[in-house]
Amino acid sequence: MNVTAEPRAPAGEDPAAAWRHPAPVAADRDAAYLSLRHARKVYQTRTGDVEAVGMANLDIAAGEFVSILGPSGCGKSTLLSMVGGLETVTEGEIWIEGAQVTGPRRDFGYIFQDPTLLPWKSVLDNVLFPIRTQKRPVADYEAEAHRLLERVGLGEFKAKRPRELSGGMRQRVALCRGLINDPRLMLMDEPFSALDAISRDDMNLALVRLWDSYHKTALFVTHSIREAVFLADRVLVMTARPSRIVADLRLPFARPRDVTVQDTPEFNRICAWLRDQIQAGYGRAAPGTGG
Amino acid sequence: MQTATVVNAPAGAALAPADPGGSAAAASRRANLLLLRRLALPVLAAALVLAVWEVGTRWAQVPEVLLPPPSAVVDRLVNAFPLLMKHAWPTIWQSLAGFAIATVLGISLATLLSASTIIRETLYPNVVFFQLIPKIALAPLFVVWFGLGPEARLSFSVFVSFFPVVIATLAGLDNVERDLLRLCRALTASNWQTFVSVRLPHAMPYIFSGMKIASTFAIIGVIVGEFITSRAGLGYLILFASAQAETALILAAISVLCVFGLAFYGVVALCERWTIERFGDRPR
Repeated sequence: MNVTAEPRAPAGEDPAAAWRHPAPVAADRDAAYLSLRHARKVYQTRTGDVEAVGMANLDIAAGEFVSILGPSGCGKSTLLSMVGGLETVTEGEIWIEGAQVTGPRRDFGYIFQDPTLLPWKSVLDNVLFPIRTQKRPVADYEAEAHRLLERVGLGEFKAKRPRELSGGMRQRVALCRGLINDPRLMLMDEPFSALDAISRDDMNLALVRLWDSYHKTALFVTHSIREAVFLADRVLVMTARPSRIVADLRLPFARPRDVTVQDTPEFNRICAWLRDQIQAGYGRAAPGTGG
Repeated sequence: MQTATVVNAPAGAALAPADPGGSAAAASRRANLLLLRRLALPVLAAALVLAVWEVGTRWAQVPEVLLPPPSAVVDRLVNAFPLLMKHAWPTIWQSLAGFAIATVLGISLATLLSASTIIRETLYPNVVFFQLIPKIALAPLFVVWFGLGPEARLSFSVFVSFFPVVIATLAGLDNVERDLLRLCRALTASNWQTFVSVRLPHAMPYIFSGMKIASTFAIIGVIVGEFITSRAGLGYLILFASAQAETALILAAISVLCVFGLAFYGVVALCERWTIERFGDRPR
């Protein structure tokens, strides 16, 4: 683990000391659900090689909700795509349950930045789209689709078409679609960043409520510090140029998680510490640059 | 809009009054007026042109061979109606058949082009090149190849109306949101599944807008074919009437052609609207 960032406060007062995740034990990938070993992604462009993700080392246990936090262009989305098998790995390896990732798997669930719903299908049929595509028996999943839609408050909208829904509602449908095939790993690529602030809070809450009962392993990419901390059990901070994971925090907040956790001093201290880490990654700590 | 359940405004902030806008009845009256205006204005304009034409030709005593007044055209239309219908039939069925064949071939070729990069790289530049040729210039070749029968006109009609379908369909198949394709890949969907469940439905409105263009092109193809060589059809009748200096009959034949073309286009345009309604992401 490249935890290189120096805490800016003196060591004794480092507020993050209590939560900092212990460095992963190398060669322990059989114990972890998901392991990245020196995973690297390099794009070849006309002006030379561009390193999108550099030497990521990571172990994630089954059931962990991990936020990957970082500024735009730090390679966090690329990292997620590599784990999901949508991008090849230039160097290094990614292992899931002892098998190397070579492509997308049926037991993954995805949510992208856009809801990417099929406009000609009803909400219910959109949720069932992965089931039909993966040729699973639809009848076995219909009840679950209804249940998921009820849970995110779309019970009355099952027969509607996506264009009749608001942006936030559409993203809820995408969330249900991501969960319908009971995935082992949920991959979420800035799923709420296109929403307005109010819908976004709403979605965060919906997601947290879902995770009260669904204990799925999840990777959640975001550039919002508060969102990352509110949703996750663990936060990874990535920086750009060079693209590195510079911090790895285990959060002390229990589940089921309450909205008011965001108002606690601890929550805010963690957010402040994470902002410092991101700003340190820019090579400066001017206020307001940590977005 | 109502503020019946009175919410007390916080101090210093006044609640806005209820929407003073008109009632629902007034709104529907406005909508009706708008519709009336959109229908009435073009009809009035056309009627005015016809009236000027009628009065002008009579007043200036323009010879009927040059330009008969609309009333003379209507007279001819009525008394030559059986003749016009007899000649309309081959034109109509050949246009419809040409259109249908062009649609099937066009969608198939576009599917092939979107499915295989190699086929696309080989064929698509040629399709574009062919599209640029003034296709009318090739019409005599079809007579050379297919003879004097309906096959020549039918195949030329297919040739003319085929390109808009290919190009529109290909645009529709290609224009799918990249994230949607990523989703398909993430779900381990096969190419065929992606085509059937995402690309093709997405392309439906595009296909119908291509078909809308093809419907007019198909008629042009048949008429041009009939001009070149034919013993029946409205194109033939127009040539025949012009040889006889029967200008009113020419215009009557053109009127029949207009009615058919309008109906044909209208049906396809309605289908297009339906596909946008069904497959598009916003209502129209």
